[in-house]
Amino acid sequence: MPLARRQWLLALGWLALLVMASLWVSSNLQLSGDLRKFMPSAQTPAQKLLIDELGEGPGSRLLLIGLRGADAKTLAAQSQAMRGRLAGDDRFALVSNGSEASLEDFPETLRAYRYLLSPTLDVHRFDADYLGAALQERVQDLGSPAAGLVEPLLPSDPTLETLVLAEAWQPVGAPQRLHEVWFDATGKEALMVAQTRSAGFDPSGQQAAVDAVHAAFEATRGAAAAQLTLTGPGAFSVEIGSRTAAEAQAIAGFGSAGLVLLLLLAYRSLRTLLLGALPLATAAMAGLGAVVALFDSVHGITLAFGFTLIGVAQDYPVHLFSHQRIGLAPADSARRLWPTLATGVVSTCIAYLTFFASGVDGLRQLAVFTIVGLAVAALCTRFLVPPLMAPVTRDAADSVLLARLQDWTGRLPRPRWSLAVLAALAVLVLVLAPGPFWQNDLSRLTPVPEAAMADDMRLRTELGAPDVRYVIAVRAPDNEAALQASERLVPALDRLVAERKIGGYELAARTVASAATQRARQARLPDEATLRATLDEVLADSAFRADAFEPFIKDVATARAARALRPEDLAGTPLESRVGGLLLGGGEQVTALVSVTGLTDPDAVAAAARTQGAELMDLKQASESLVAEYRGRVLAALGAAALLLLATIGLALRSGRRVWRVALPMALTTLFILAALRGFGVELNLFHLVALILAAGLGLDYALFFEHAGDERAQQLRTLHAVLVCSASTLLVFCLLSFSSIPVLQAIGTTVALGVFGNFVLALLVARQPLRTAGAAA
Amino acid sequence: MLLTLTLAASALGNPAAAAESGTAVEADWILQKIARPVPARTPFVEMRSSPMLKAPLRIAGEYRRPDADTLVREVRAPYAETTTIARGQATIARDGRAARTFSLSRAPELASLQQGFGSLLAGDRATVEQHYRLEPSGTRERWSLLMTPKDPELATRVRSITLHGQGAELRCIETAPATGKELQRTLLAGGARDAAKARTEQALAALCRSGIAR
Repeated sequence: MPLARRQWLLALGWLALLVMASLWVSSNLQLSGDLRKFMPSAQTPAQKLLIDELGEGPGSRLLLIGLRGADAKTLAAQSQAMRGRLAGDDRFALVSNGSEASLEDFPETLRAYRYLLSPTLDVHRFDADYLGAALQERVQDLGSPAAGLVEPLLPSDPTLETLVLAEAWQPVGAPQRLHEVWFDATGKEALMVAQTRSAGFDPSGQQAAVDAVHAAFEATRGAAAAQLTLTGPGAFSVEIGSRTAAEAQAIAGFGSAGLVLLLLLAYRSLRTLLLGALPLATAAMAGLGAVVALFDSVHGITLAFGFTLIGVAQDYPVHLFSHQRIGLAPADSARRLWPTLATGVVSTCIAYLTFFASGVDGLRQLAVFTIVGLAVAALCTRFLVPPLMAPVTRDAADSVLLARLQDWTGRLPRPRWSLAVLAALAVLVLVLAPGPFWQNDLSRLTPVPEAAMADDMRLRTELGAPDVRYVIAVRAPDNEAALQASERLVPALDRLVAERKIGGYELAARTVASAATQRARQARLPDEATLRATLDEVLADSAFRADAFEPFIKDVATARAARALRPEDLAGTPLESRVGGLLLGGGEQVTALVSVTGLTDPDAVAAAARTQGAELMDLKQASESLVAEYRGRVLAALGAAALLLLATIGLALRSGRRVWRVALPMALTTLFILAALRGFGVELNLFHLVALILAAGLGLDYALFFEHAGDERAQQLRTLHAVLVCSASTLLVFCLLSFSSIPVLQAIGTTVALGVFGNFVLALLVARQPLRTAGAAA
Repeated sequence: MLLTLTLAASALGNPAAAAESGTAVEADWILQKIARPVPARTPFVEMRSSPMLKAPLRIAGEYRRPDADTLVREVRAPYAETTTIARGQATIARDGRAARTFSLSRAPELASLQQGFGSLLAGDRATVEQHYRLEPSGTRERWSLLMTPKDPELATRVRSITLHGQGAELRCIETAPATGKELQRTLLAGGARDAAKARTEQALAALCRSGIAR
């Protein structure tokens, strides 16, 4: 049937609006992977630390790189070449492969500070005894196999303070070096560490960094057979992200094809098919547009959840199409359906309003997205779709197959007590099933493949990377106080190392001591005249020339006059990242972190930390408590939403009996899904919750429409047609999702598929009114 | 210095085996002759110059190879110090001090050197030639072998190494660093014994090259 001119204008106008909206959205959309947006505000210190760590902490920005598969020398050369490329790349704050000797780490301009940063002067003074002994040692150094290493340092540094510092700064358990770069213990794998500038959970930033590493590897591998291993939080999130996207895309592809077939089969019209897609597309654009307009950046999870939740809008035009009949203009049909459709949409939207009050940014975004999306989809279905619809040629009520189905389901006994028994059984399963009810471990949702996890463990151990679960935190009002406080921890930490409770530790004060400590060391440096006299005395009967150590005298004078080095003075030097990661915050509250390796006794370490006013943080526990708190808020919001929903339906239907018929299928289905998941040992997570909400929304619509159909046979047949098409299409997509290998997709798929099935059956049995003239028309 | 240390190991053994006279020398012949079975020991005298020192440092002591994988350098004068190189690590022990151990990987030129000189000790010319160009000169009674690194990485540290010997006895190793003009010399075996008589650096240099103390 050709379109009239007015219809063409409307259709083109609508499409043009959609295109413009999508252009505007795509140019303004700032997608954020920052998990903080999605979390409730942190309460405990550990949670606060975790939120900081998650966003910008050093651990989450580390990429661990391993090269293997060629001989050590080739690998070392490639490691150097890759470091050369990546070090010049803006996307990386730091790239280490062991080749940068710590001496180069120490910038020339700061070299005189060695006397303030090294602990030597805490116990010694530069007197004749100490310097005399040092020079005797240096003569022997010159005659030793290590002569080539120390000779260039001697004129300015006869006590080899630079080496003392370099040794102190060696990462605890640094890997061995072969051909000047880090290698694992077997010497078969060259090791590198890269710290990205973008946060660990910034997907696009990490993607760019991971791509850069791969590009550098490809560009430097030459003909060698080397293989790259890349691990770390960023690499994992990129891999999981792309796997999830690939799988979701494949599923969406199959799902769409199935959906097209289903809709063509149901309506035998291409025009109807295209029209059916428009409200959902408009809803997505409108929801996205509203979030973009109201918030700075949109969280990726908001989008994923949001698109899941507005999936219910796909059903709106279906109801319209199925209720068409000869002699009824589409606009009139839409007007008749409107009260039912509006009741469903309004009550759902009011329910989502509770998310807005949750106090979590990500949930607010989700509420805006869903409410705007659903409302727009409903309005489109009411006002824009009917004028575009083709005149009716068929009536769903004429279908013989449908009539048979209707009769068969009509003969099924109306459940009464059986449902109560089933519900009781479900509650029993819920209560009695063993195992934890909720899964709080976020990492279990996005599991890293086991092989990659093993690679990560291997590289982490070889590189001596710090414990990711535990960290000691010291809080103070400013940097100086924090450094002083962490310095007071050192004796206790050394004891823990001696007792083998920890393998080692690292703190910012080891790189830059507190100003107080630096000033104390400064006070012990001799003035120039004294030092000169001492040196003259010592050099007179030594093997060294009298003028050999002029640079040393100059450096000591510089160090004596220098202002104490502050952490911020290290900005722009390779030392910056050593300190930055361990000294967090600024302004009114500074947290100095002490990272530990090889922690074996958390209780002992916690007790030792407490004696100095510090605290051992368990980041895993903090993350799980955050998730639990988040879920608590979602559940509270859902409780309030359920009440609001009932109130809205009550207001619309004005009859307790009708409300009961509409709400019961939805409530029972939710209970049955929970029991089924729990019965099969599934630990519930946030994605299950979101899927449950979607399932409930779908169920509400099914029940409302069955209830609305009244007791007239033709109308019941049309409603059955509509709900069949709706539930079949939804079931198709979510069944496919439930076969996904990605737990997140699987959780959503299984839950919604179960929900659609349960809601359809229960709505059919409970919400549909008995026929006025039962069996008469058969 | 590390170069010399490893090299010196090749001099450990019975000094001055009989040499056939008059024939022009070949690298093969030299490498065969200076290879030594373990255990072995030889005295050494080393001169170490530095612009920081009033006079070159003269160190005397003994090199020992207790087994094929271990090399000991024991300094006896002017101070006592024992360096043990085994399994990729060097341990330096001094009187009244805790021994210091560092990985040879911190001096990466040693990795290829060890490989090179391991084969030198074994008389394995093919492997030595992988790492150095060999230019023999002189006669079997008095020969020298100029070794120039092939590996560019090593060449940034060492310009050349010259072995001087008489018959089967390696008497002196001269190392020319890539930067600086100062040659570092280690006199070994008979060379070290003769060095007791040489008081000046020129005398030592002559002794190293010609085998005659002036």
